[in-house]
Amino acid sequence: MKKLKINGDKLVLVAAIVAVFILFTTLNSNYLSLTNIINILIAASLVGLVAIGHTYLIIAGQNDLSPGSLAAFSGVLAATLVSYGVPFVLTCLITIVAGMLVGLCNAFMVNKIKLEAFIATLVSQSVIRGFAYILCGGKPVAIADPTFLLLGKLRILNIPLSVWIMLLCIVVFGIVLAKTKFGRSIYAIGGSKEAARLAGLNPQQIIRRSFLMMGALCAVGGIIFSARMNSGQPAANVNLEFDAITAVILGGVSFAGGVGDMGGTFLGIILIQAFNTGLTMVNVPSFWQYVAKGGLLLFALATDYVRKQRREKELLELSMKNL
Amino acid sequence: MEHVLEFQHISKYFPGVKALDDVSFKAYSGEVLAFLGENGAGKSTLLKTLNGDYQPTSGKYILDGQEKHFKTPHEAIEEGISIIYQERQILLELSVAENIYLGRMPLGRFGIIDTTKANVMASKIIEDFGLPIKPETKVKDLSIAYQQMVEIMKAYSRDNLKVIAFDEPTASLSDSEIEALFKIIRKLKSEGKIIIYVSHRMEEIEEITDKVAIFKDGHYVDTVRTGECPQSEMIRMMVGRDLGDIYNNLDRDKTIGDVLLEVRNVSSDYVKPNSFVLRKGEVLGFSGLVGAGRTELMRAIIGADKMKTGEVILEGKKTEIHSPHDAMKQGIVLVPEDRKLQGIISNFSVADNINISLLDQHSDRFGFVNEKEEKKTAEEGIRKFSIKTPSPDKKIVELSGGNQQKAIVARWLSTDPKVLILDEPTKGIDVGAKSEFYNMICKFAKQGIGVILISSELPEVIGLSDRIIVMKGRQISGEISRQEASETNLLSLAMIGKVEKS
Repeated sequence: MKKLKINGDKLVLVAAIVAVFILFTTLNSNYLSLTNIINILIAASLVGLVAIGHTYLIIAGQNDLSPGSLAAFSGVLAATLVSYGVPFVLTCLITIVAGMLVGLCNAFMVNKIKLEAFIATLVSQSVIRGFAYILCGGKPVAIADPTFLLLGKLRILNIPLSVWIMLLCIVVFGIVLAKTKFGRSIYAIGGSKEAARLAGLNPQQIIRRSFLMMGALCAVGGIIFSARMNSGQPAANVNLEFDAITAVILGGVSFAGGVGDMGGTFLGIILIQAFNTGLTMVNVPSFWQYVAKGGLLLFALATDYVRKQRREKELLELSMKNL
Repeated sequence: MEHVLEFQHISKYFPGVKALDDVSFKAYSGEVLAFLGENGAGKSTLLKTLNGDYQPTSGKYILDGQEKHFKTPHEAIEEGISIIYQERQILLELSVAENIYLGRMPLGRFGIIDTTKANVMASKIIEDFGLPIKPETKVKDLSIAYQQMVEIMKAYSRDNLKVIAFDEPTASLSDSEIEALFKIIRKLKSEGKIIIYVSHRMEEIEEITDKVAIFKDGHYVDTVRTGECPQSEMIRMMVGRDLGDIYNNLDRDKTIGDVLLEVRNVSSDYVKPNSFVLRKGEVLGFSGLVGAGRTELMRAIIGADKMKTGEVILEGKKTEIHSPHDAMKQGIVLVPEDRKLQGIISNFSVADNINISLLDQHSDRFGFVNEKEEKKTAEEGIRKFSIKTPSPDKKIVELSGGNQQKAIVARWLSTDPKVLILDEPTKGIDVGAKSEFYNMICKFAKQGIGVILISSELPEVIGLSDRIIVMKGRQISGEISRQEASETNLLSLAMIGKVEKS
């Protein structure tokens, strides 16, 4: 249904990315180096994985505030398991299953207790962060397992494995979203949940699957992040969901649901990471970086609003032609 | 002073609907002008574009030679145009005087509100109106009728009041209260206000109005003098062409077969236990007042609401239906009444809307959707149901209401259903599309589909059904064969639960 097409919104995003690159390169000539671009991609890999999940959830009319906590928890869990001698592959599997369980809980709160996703996942954000601290007694868990550490170091064609994983996921989940029954159902329930249900879809199942997917993505992200840090850190990844949601909205997914695609999300991820890395490189104090990020989210939301207004206006004009 | 309010080429478009289409006429002071038309004819929309609640898509208003354009109802009130709605728009906890002068209470020294002065001013108006109420009384202690009077006084208290419109003002008033209202309307008329009176009640229109402006499907038809035009003529003008012929020309030549669907004691939280049967090739009408439980019964049958008691037997076999998905698998499908929220998937194209219920059939074991198959189904649906769309990829909301509805029907027919439930299928669609629907319904029945038709339009349900079930108070109150069906006995079953023997 969604064909990959170059439209105005995407061009604006590309232009914004170019503008960010020009701006920061003027301020710091190292910005446009290969090392830095790879750094941007590395930073984008964790946000990217989470943003994939957010793309699905927000198109489906949901949301998730727990990824930061869940990624941290997953890193701590994986590091702990490995330190007890659990084989690396099994560790990954267990961690991913744990992440999916969290997703299942989120879906349960949304589907069965009828909580707004925003509120439901605020609950798990706090609870999971708590478990991350409890699991390790508040201290980072060092990783000694060489396979695990390799995950953070391995490069293919000079590009780190984490970036490849993110890109692979973007492509795979992008295709699933655009070409499969599941993807179509995501758009349908985001557009009109009740109409989709009466048309024979199962919104609860679709929501559950989206949260399960998000749980798995957060777990994978958390494992990769801890490998890069050489330790599982319970305090890590605070505000991860903030960056991911900003990226997704910048990429053209609407909070109103039913609109957006993975290509836009990818551009959104690049834009926000180029921006964040740039702020650090030109020595913007970290306190001010929060302000700047908030500004970027406001900008994203404002463009979402403008796009929505424009869609409605176009729709009205088009619908009149057919009367 | 004389006033003239001119409506010049007013149009108001919503996606897929021309709510108002090039409406032009004039209203004069010292006259009560009725707006008459069916539900959805555009009367209320016209009032809302007049007072700035809606912005007209095109056209303008000219009051006493000056063009007026209001961004909000408040601006309109400031300029002397007030609308009295069915729902009271007053603050119950405040006094009569405080409501009348809301937002512009007289101020005393130091800018403190001078309640005494407001009460004195208000009591003058109350006296003018000849009402037995006190300015200090809290509005919540007044009857509905007096609350409405407070609203009228609020409008009247502005020196510059020129236009006052009443939107179904008598809906919740008793006869004596209506008489009191009319007295005030006559007073306003004698003072040279322009008065607009929206109502469905012909006897009121006869009594209080001087002229009647008639609307039909968003168009202005004509203005007639109340006394000079017979009621039947006015109704003919607002309904347009006679639908009788449409029903007579339907192809109803078919055989009704065996029992297809048997509903036994089905109930939900929203409907009492009900039983009925539907035969193959039969059109079974469901009549009753709004809220009688017809929609709710169908929702319980298809699993949209939880079935509390009872069972559904299809072709002699008991079914297990827990969701609309299960019902669809069994071959029972529903075209819902609320097309906007429950029918169309608003962000989807026409093609995707038709295909949404066929996702299972159209996807392979990995879940990939076969887009070629989808295209075929969509094009077939568009052709078979003559859906007017520039292309299958157009967003469904760009189509007119009737064509959106056809797409929903196409969606369900492509699943090859045994039982097709249509809930108010022709609501809000134009007469031409209506007759297309009627032909379609007959065709479905001829093909052997069991059709359940819920309709609040009596001629429609009588004209199409082979048998009619009437519901009242969330349960079935009776059943009438096609031969016995008349508007009178359907209505008496719907309202008093039995057929009066004459």
